[in-house]
Amino acid sequence: MPTISFSHKDFQKLLGRKMPIEEFSELLLLYAKAELKPGNTPDDLTVELDDTNQPYIWSVEGLARLLRGITSKKEAAPLRLQAGNYSIEVDESVKNVRPCIAAFVAKGVKLDDYLLKQLIQMQEKFDTGYGRRRQKVSIGLYSYKRISFPIRYTAVKPDSVKFIPLGFEKELNLKQILEQHPKGQEYGWILKNSQDYPLLLDSNGQILSFPPIINSNFTGRLEVGDSELLFEATGHDDESLNLAASIFAQNLQDRGFAIHSVIIKHKSKTTKTPSVERKLVKITPQAVEAVTGLKLKSSEISSLLQKMGYQARGETAIIPTYRADIMHPVDVIEDVAIAYGFDRISEEPLRSYTVGKKDRAFELINPTRKLIAGLGFQEIFSHILTDKKSVTEKSVELQNFMSETHSAVRNSLLPQLLDVFAKNKHSDYPQKIFEEGLVASREATKLAEWRSIALASAHSKADFTEMKQYLSALLGSIGLQLEVKPAEHTMFIKGRVGSILVNKQHLGFIGEVKPEILEKHGIEMPVAAAELNLSLLP
Amino acid sequence: MPDDAKVAEIADSLHRYERAVLPLLEKHSSVSDLVKASGLQEIEVLRGLNWLQNKGLAKITEVTEELINLGGNGRKYASSQLPETRFLDAIKEQPLSLSEIKRKTSLTDEETSASIGALMRLRAIESAIVQEGKGFKATEAGKKLAAEGTPAQRLLSRKFPIPEKNLTPDEKAVVEELRKRKDVIRQDVVKNKSATITDLGRQIARKSISAEKIIDRLTPEMLLTGSWKKAKLRPYDLSTAAPRAFFGKLQPYREFLEEVRDKFVGLGFEEMTGPIIESEFWNMDALFMPQFHSARDIHDVYYIKEPKHATDLPKELVKKVKAAHENGFGTGSKGWQYEFSEEKTARLIMRSQTTACSARKMASKDLKIPGKYFAIGRCFRYDVIDAKHLADFNQVEGIIIEESLNLRHLIGLLKLFAKEFCQTDKVKVVPSYFPFTEPSASLYAKHPALGWMELAGAGIFRPEMVKPLIGRHVPVLAWGIGIDRIAMFKLGMDDIRNLFSHDLNFLRNAKVV
Repeated sequence: MPTISFSHKDFQKLLGRKMPIEEFSELLLLYAKAELKPGNTPDDLTVELDDTNQPYIWSVEGLARLLRGITSKKEAAPLRLQAGNYSIEVDESVKNVRPCIAAFVAKGVKLDDYLLKQLIQMQEKFDTGYGRRRQKVSIGLYSYKRISFPIRYTAVKPDSVKFIPLGFEKELNLKQILEQHPKGQEYGWILKNSQDYPLLLDSNGQILSFPPIINSNFTGRLEVGDSELLFEATGHDDESLNLAASIFAQNLQDRGFAIHSVIIKHKSKTTKTPSVERKLVKITPQAVEAVTGLKLKSSEISSLLQKMGYQARGETAIIPTYRADIMHPVDVIEDVAIAYGFDRISEEPLRSYTVGKKDRAFELINPTRKLIAGLGFQEIFSHILTDKKSVTEKSVELQNFMSETHSAVRNSLLPQLLDVFAKNKHSDYPQKIFEEGLVASREATKLAEWRSIALASAHSKADFTEMKQYLSALLGSIGLQLEVKPAEHTMFIKGRVGSILVNKQHLGFIGEVKPEILEKHGIEMPVAAAELNLSLLP
Repeated sequence: MPDDAKVAEIADSLHRYERAVLPLLEKHSSVSDLVKASGLQEIEVLRGLNWLQNKGLAKITEVTEELINLGGNGRKYASSQLPETRFLDAIKEQPLSLSEIKRKTSLTDEETSASIGALMRLRAIESAIVQEGKGFKATEAGKKLAAEGTPAQRLLSRKFPIPEKNLTPDEKAVVEELRKRKDVIRQDVVKNKSATITDLGRQIARKSISAEKIIDRLTPEMLLTGSWKKAKLRPYDLSTAAPRAFFGKLQPYREFLEEVRDKFVGLGFEEMTGPIIESEFWNMDALFMPQFHSARDIHDVYYIKEPKHATDLPKELVKKVKAAHENGFGTGSKGWQYEFSEEKTARLIMRSQTTACSARKMASKDLKIPGKYFAIGRCFRYDVIDAKHLADFNQVEGIIIEESLNLRHLIGLLKLFAKEFCQTDKVKVVPSYFPFTEPSASLYAKHPALGWMELAGAGIFRPEMVKPLIGRHVPVLAWGIGIDRIAMFKLGMDDIRNLFSHDLNFLRNAKVV
């Protein structure tokens, strides 16, 4: 979830009125799916945003615009583009690397330290979140005064071009940048399948940047005092790039910048970014009622939509250019409900009566657990993930585990019960414990999951007979007859281990645990144990 | 000094062991003597003494004593003689070569050299020339020792254990010598108890304690013969600590989950289940979570090493879900607009959310409309484990499916949960975000002890999710409850890892209600 920081004063300036922290916090919860975190100073606010699909509110400008809409009656001003003679020529060579680009020029407000930091924060949140760590969208910001248009977007051989990357003092070629520059090391993976690397140059042949990695140390630097800037975003689909350009342009316009569009010249087509084309969605009162249960007139819906930044004409909602999260009319209807206020929506009880029912397995599991507890056993409840060293080769292992202790799915409950004995040597004996739970195993490529139940007893006289007594009593109580046939098992002493049979079906093993295993666990008492597959019980 | 009535009362309350031991204390003090004189077991005498001391009738003193005992080899040498004794025995008549001695005594090389060293120190043997060459013969002192036994052999033949203080200085030197050998001498420290009678004890003992008419235990025979009528049942010292009883108990967190299960059954919900090793299809794709969603990252979900792919995916359904992702599947949605990978959808992972169970239920033939379903299931997330996070945890969630359900029903449901799980009607329902619901809501409830807490997340499943699974659009309310914080509160825990505690003392002492 994205987290952003900004000044409370700045927020109020953008909002156009005072708003105490308490009210702001409440409105964030109700309208922005966001939560106010405690900041460092009274003026320094930190907000966590819940919605990973709405980058237009991942900035103080976006939040202020949203809450301005909610608390005023005025329709929000859409993006107004100024014409300008700015263009980017896109070379065919980028087609297989990073084919798309969007850009605009913003002029008219002097950047101070705070505003510069806000721009960089916005860029970072967009790049890492919506931009999927720059793979989908990568944004560059430049000081306009150092660039001469038209700009050229092209792709070159990694070792054919040299420039000084941001923060460095010497020239590196593109290959060296990936190896030596921290950003190269961080984002180089994006280009791992590319022969040629993307490059932005101005009309003087000056290098602007090496997208999506790093800007040049000279032209690719935005500084305090600049009042004109160039925005560009590169990626793989025009829609995401246009969204990025729209959000940034709208935010800068809200701060008083004039936005100039940039013409993107491909060999086959020419477009203008950011696009101001707005999509339309039909929203009927019936559709709103079906989803929200609210009986609203068309005019009421229109005014609620306006609060959320839409323009509404009759039953048609015009989606703001900075929003790309609207996939279906239901997304617009949610905004109607949010604008109406979830706190004002009254509840309605459910109408149908349905019959509750547990999973059938528990009709056996729960009585069995109670019977075993009745035999004096303490129940254990363990994790299903375990150390791959404690399971046999037929177990299911994880490919990406964080710690060895959680690196495989258990295929038996006994190792965990032995672990309990090992950890409780100073607790009073006899120790009788059991667990019921899911286990899984793998036979070549075939997976199996079942419910297992295991009992273990540790004390100075724990033996096979005791365990057989318990097991017969248990099975007898659920109407089954226990039969034990000699068997072999890696965990149990030879000659003191048997296969548990019910109606001739093998269900598991019963036996005395091998002393070498007890020694390995550091257990100083004999242990008798049994484990059986509950899913196989008739 | 208590008055006579008090003295009589104490006398009457004496247990059989106390009555047996008390008079003997006038003559005996050590426990072993008391055992002999009373005919009781040692444990019985000790318990009797403890109780007498509690009543102020006796005083127990404890003396530690060091005992010399025989080790494994010591016992062997005591019965079959020390190697040097056997060595000396072999040559007491005539000198023999070393190989002849070894053959005759069957001593090992090690034992032979130890014997020569020991006997040389005692000046019991000296080298001699025999037929085969060099050998040994017994000296005069040696012959004498062979007849009387070496000091070490004589010591070994005594009865062990021997209190260290009873050893003569010579014997002590022999013990020190034997200590150098492996497992011959063992030293034990024992605590000996002895007791003396107090004045009050003497007073009661001399009152001639009548053993006959006071009985400790009512027996079946007494009831049969009626002999209890002539006797008096001894009053107990009720403050005596009783030994701890252990019994089987169900695990408290698991029992908490059972209560939750019962609660949902009571509310009319039917339980749904699903595998914990799940495909990305059921865990995410069927929920309309795009394949590029950040929660599907290698840093969020556990991937199975082998096998990598599920082979039992429903082919027709995969096609529909693919269409929903790519273009909305005719739901009026534009979809996520990317190329859906059928290879990725089959990838096996550890289930990361029980919503996978909801998807399976919605696609199953036995889905009931209207229907209410819930799941309590284990889920797995790639996460650092600490006091607040587990990588392997339980989720509780469910769905309600019925024509013409809407957000107002969802809000009603959430308020019901607040009442059931937090005993409160102080709630806030606010908008929220989940990739598979629209609208989405979060429920904050004011728990009587924990204060405002996020109790549940909920929403109405997106049309793009519902249509492929059910075949048409039906409203499906979906919710998940964060149950673990309430469990921790109920079980008095502040570390989530304790929900799966392996600490037997904690589990044995856990409160049930």
